[in-house]
Amino acid sequence: MSREERMARAGDYVLGLMDEKERTRAERDMEVDAEFRDCVIHLAERFHAFDKDVAPAEVPGDMWQTVAARIADMPQMTAADIARERLDLTTLQAPDPSRKGILQLKRPYAHQFAGWRGGLIAACLIGALGVGYLSGQAMGPAPEPVVVVVLADEDNAPGAFVEAYGNDAVRIVPLVDFEVPQGKTLEVWTLYDRDVGPVSLGTFGRSTEITLQGPDQPMPQPQQLYEITLEDAPGSPVGRPTGPILVKGLAVRPPR
Amino acid sequence: MSADNQDDASTLLLERVAAGDRTALAELFKLEAGRLIAVARRIVRRADLAEEAVQDAFVTIWRKATMFDPMRGSGRAWMTRMVRNRALNMVRDGQRMEFVEPQMLAELGDAGSDADLAYEALPAASDLRRCLDQLEPVRRRSIVLAYVGGFTHGEIAGRLKAPIGTVKAWIRRGVIALQECMS
Repeated sequence: MSREERMARAGDYVLGLMDEKERTRAERDMEVDAEFRDCVIHLAERFHAFDKDVAPAEVPGDMWQTVAARIADMPQMTAADIARERLDLTTLQAPDPSRKGILQLKRPYAHQFAGWRGGLIAACLIGALGVGYLSGQAMGPAPEPVVVVVLADEDNAPGAFVEAYGNDAVRIVPLVDFEVPQGKTLEVWTLYDRDVGPVSLGTFGRSTEITLQGPDQPMPQPQQLYEITLEDAPGSPVGRPTGPILVKGLAVRPPR
Repeated sequence: MSADNQDDASTLLLERVAAGDRTALAELFKLEAGRLIAVARRIVRRADLAEEAVQDAFVTIWRKATMFDPMRGSGRAWMTRMVRNRALNMVRDGQRMEFVEPQMLAELGDAGSDADLAYEALPAASDLRRCLDQLEPVRRRSIVLAYVGGFTHGEIAGRLKAPIGTVKAWIRRGVIALQECMS
């Protein structure tokens, strides 16, 4: 996103000119794009000048009771619930939460593994994984990933499979042939702490299986966000994703 | 209580709400509901709809309090955003169409003049006021109508009798210039 594009988009977000889908997408982008996030926060705080000193309207006497009754039995969303909702809303499909696939993944990917199409994808996964985690368990001492991630594109189609290990390494198995134009490279990111922001795990130039050794980082957690972006070679110059997001996904802990 | 102290108080209360404390939400309601109803009313126009928007927003604030991150702005601004989003969804769903009945117009007042008043009420020393003042009047008015009144590009085009593409360009250029000025 160019600087002007970023400011224009932050403007549309803060002014309330986005539809719900655009808004959810912008909020998701704020999680991974620190510059866009800073731009939005800065602008929103300035515009709050319109709201913070408004003369209060009369509050109906029973209004709090109504709110209290509505939340009486209502559980609060966890950070993981919110991340999942955000991912669901940024895709167009409404997945069936009751279905689970071969990896026991819950939404939003489970429906991808259902039916004949799912069979093909599952076969593709098993084939691509080789001695990875599915067969690795049977083969004994191969190190097991702490979390696994199916990264999907905008249309929710699986595009890559990632295994993250406890030693900061990640194994990437592309499931589609990402087009990497001359002068570009694929960069893998994760977000383990919003305050730290996105962390680059490394780059790879071709759509083939590869293991990358990331920088020192905490043990990967379920619900941790992973994504692959297309960056100018040799990689993002600012240490933050700048190019388009090709695929993204949230980590799950594989069943043992 | 000054606005800044209230910012701090609301931020601390929201962190308690995130930890599951319903009494903290009740305190926030007491502090903020009146102001938030007034903010929603500038968008939805009708008092009952504004109250409904704020009621819904407080339910959302309860459910999503863990989303609030004090590193990313004040609690008051975050709550205001929840209310604005709810109010905007209500008018986008077409609920504002009901108001066109002539007998209601006087009671509802005019969103455009509300926007003017909100602009006039901005402290002259604030960055927002100083930088809005530097914009061409049509750009400034488009931006204020969008934020304060919750109007869409199309509605602003109708009010200002300009093509929608022109309004989009005014707002785009305007918000970029505004951010350059305020940075």
